[in-house]
Amino acid sequence: MHKLLKLTSQLILLTLLMSTSIASEVNIYTSRHYDSDEALYAEFTKTTGIQVNVISGSGNALMERLKAEGDTSPADIFFTVDAGNLWRVQKEGYFKSINSKKINEIVPNNLRGPNDEWIAIAKRARVVFYNPDNTSIEELSNLSYEDLADPRWNGGIAIRSSNNMYNQSLVASLITNHGIELTEKWAKGLVANFIRKPQGNDRAQIIAVANGEAKLAVANSYYVGIMLSGSAGNDQLEAAKKVKIYFPNQDNRGAHINISGAGILKYAPNSHNAIKFLEFLLSERVQRYMVNLSFEYPVLENIEPHPSIAQFGLTFKEDQTSVADYGKYNLNAVQLMDRAGWQ
Amino acid sequence: MFKISTFLPWTSLPYLILFFFSLPIIIVLSSLLGDWSENWIHLYNYVLFDYISTSIYLVLGVSILVLVIGTVTAWLICSYEFYGKRFFEWALILPLSIPPYILAYTFTGLFDSYGTANNLIRVIFNLDTSFILFPNVRNTLGAIVVFAFTLYPYVYLVSRSAFLNQSQSMLEAGRMLGLNKVQIFYKLGLPIIRPGLIGGLMLVIMETLSDFGAVDHFAVQTFTTGIFRTWYGMYDLSTAMQLASLLLLFVGLFFIFERISRKKARYTSNTSTFRPPKINQLSGIKSCAASLVCFIPIFIGFLLPVSELTIWAFQYNLDFFNHKFITTMTNTISLAIIAAILCASFALLINFSIRLKKNTLSVTSNSLLSMGYAVPGLILAVGIVQLFAWLDKSIFNDTRIILTGSLAGLVFAYVIKSYALANSTFESGFERISRSIDDSAKTLNSGGLNLLRRVHFPLLKTSFLTSILLVTSEVVKELPATLILRPFNFDTLAVSTYIYAAEERMIQASAPAIAIVITGLIPIIILTKMIRSSRPTGR
Repeated sequence: MHKLLKLTSQLILLTLLMSTSIASEVNIYTSRHYDSDEALYAEFTKTTGIQVNVISGSGNALMERLKAEGDTSPADIFFTVDAGNLWRVQKEGYFKSINSKKINEIVPNNLRGPNDEWIAIAKRARVVFYNPDNTSIEELSNLSYEDLADPRWNGGIAIRSSNNMYNQSLVASLITNHGIELTEKWAKGLVANFIRKPQGNDRAQIIAVANGEAKLAVANSYYVGIMLSGSAGNDQLEAAKKVKIYFPNQDNRGAHINISGAGILKYAPNSHNAIKFLEFLLSERVQRYMVNLSFEYPVLENIEPHPSIAQFGLTFKEDQTSVADYGKYNLNAVQLMDRAGWQ
Repeated sequence: MFKISTFLPWTSLPYLILFFFSLPIIIVLSSLLGDWSENWIHLYNYVLFDYISTSIYLVLGVSILVLVIGTVTAWLICSYEFYGKRFFEWALILPLSIPPYILAYTFTGLFDSYGTANNLIRVIFNLDTSFILFPNVRNTLGAIVVFAFTLYPYVYLVSRSAFLNQSQSMLEAGRMLGLNKVQIFYKLGLPIIRPGLIGGLMLVIMETLSDFGAVDHFAVQTFTTGIFRTWYGMYDLSTAMQLASLLLLFVGLFFIFERISRKKARYTSNTSTFRPPKINQLSGIKSCAASLVCFIPIFIGFLLPVSELTIWAFQYNLDFFNHKFITTMTNTISLAIIAAILCASFALLINFSIRLKKNTLSVTSNSLLSMGYAVPGLILAVGIVQLFAWLDKSIFNDTRIILTGSLAGLVFAYVIKSYALANSTFESGFERISRSIDDSAKTLNSGGLNLLRRVHFPLLKTSFLTSILLVTSEVVKELPATLILRPFNFDTLAVSTYIYAAEERMIQASAPAIAIVITGLIPIIILTKMIRSSRPTGR
């Protein structure tokens, strides 16, 4: 037993000593997890000689680590999905302005945080999916998010739980445009139209539409791309072939947009490398590579998304509501959904 | 004077360890002293009572089911000879290698309206796509099944070892008093294993209450999903921590209630009159029925998920099993073993010290540390992060952070999280050592370290190994603390699974998930070897 204890303590000491830093590096906290990311980091190291160190985890938990570490934090970049998360990090005062002319030229205003403290790296739209076998395009004409609360869709709508941040952001964007009271009324109408108690992920909703269980599903655009790629299995591939995307609110403010985005942290020990990394992510070649694997929409306008997403249309109108508002109204959105009985 | 100085390390050191390791839990609890935000009004008005009632329903359902599965199978194994018994005896603990969230994922993959099982039925009987045989599992009942069939081994393990240690003379006395087989089971069999049983049940309850992955996947709104909704959705960590504290206090009440109710009783049998229980041969239909009863939990809790995962893993390319996999697996195993040895050693030391000199403070703080198991993983991890950051700044006083993001920190977190597993093993282990042994040892002037090394440790070897193995298999499955406390570029198998499962890409997650199961099986298999050879009679 004593030998074992001795061995254990030696092992622990050894591993402690191993965490020495390398000369040129950039440290990333990320809640975005894709197989393709690693290849991306390797490519960055190859072109710049800067080593990329990563911890991926839940955005909220990483933020607590960031806060606890304070000014001693080794993190340079906080990379996450959903604008609400980025807004929170900014509100807590952990970002600083990104000083890069190049970046500011590329990323449009509505896809940037206040004070240029964070930026979008890629976009996704939260759209309506339908199956042309059950629902004709005429039935959908001029459909808006607001219309989903209309009694004519009674028992026809599939959407996931209100625990999900994409739903929270969608509702927050409605609060920006209509205020809390009207949005709550809308949410009650929507809940009355649910085909079932919310369950499963976005893809489960798309499958419900493909199978004819639901008439409409609300889900993020890129999921259909992932399903069509076949990497998620044959059943999902077959289901995805049956559905089409409808972009809501085309005759007014446009389809709801959310982002994958990143910011540079206030106490970043390698700010210079961090800027280089963000510029790298926004370069044409990398944008093309990223969106081809993630099925998101690129931030660069001259690049097309993956063909399996592009087929549903590229010229749709995007909601220009500032993504920063999603964070601002997230609390209201969650409480409103609780009141509306949206589980 | 001489006596006091030899006893000193055994009375003070455990306090230090206990105090240090309880700090993150105290940090979580201290949130109760902070401001109570307005969000409480909202929670109270709209969701709190739903969270509470769902959790109670869940815990009751799981408790009843694990008690039935765990004790009935253990009783069959210990009292009867039937077809396949030698296999079932160890195979019944296999489900311990399946984390509840993985069983939940495979359940939906199997039983959703267009899942594998329903598709299979439709293909076999050539039915229309609207035909759905298997009911929806995404509800509280589904969650009860998932927890019960992954966690019942905790109850099975303690029941089995207690049944094995009960004396034949007592059962004969029961039979002479005219009790039938069923009466003997619940009038004599159950009461004698009560302390161990409650210990095992507490583990099950704590794990059920703290789980997020499985209930979230089933869209069941429990107290813990409420905690995360408050944190993630309302951006209100302090209210989330207050909720977690209330959950802890609730579990604490359980502990206290249990202590009080068993205070008077001592459960050691008089070793000199001990005769191992007789094993009756079952024949024909009865033998088949016994085999079936033992097979069902293994099928649902192990065979079903493992076959579904294997099918998925082969559908997807098996790229995961490359060089990186070896590193990830090595990381996982070495961390798990280090944490397990530390955990078992601490639990041994602390329980020994409590046995020497029982007082309220040591018992309370020991229970507090055990309750770490009931804190939702990420909330506990936040407590640990805050403690580390504070230590780094105030003690190490370095501009570089040392504990946060180090492997030492990770091991520390595992010890806190899994202490309950080691502790409950030692508690029941010590419970079974008769006090008269201590007294005889003391009259022979063998106290303190000597008593532990020469008398208790040899008797507790099984407990020591069991707790190492339980903690190892727990750490292999552990996710939340690993996610936010790990160093850069450091993965464990659970992390690899999470990266896919977070997006519910279960087909891609299946390869690392199988790796978790395989790795988790290693300690389980060693445990089963021990089980095979641990029959007091020796067969």
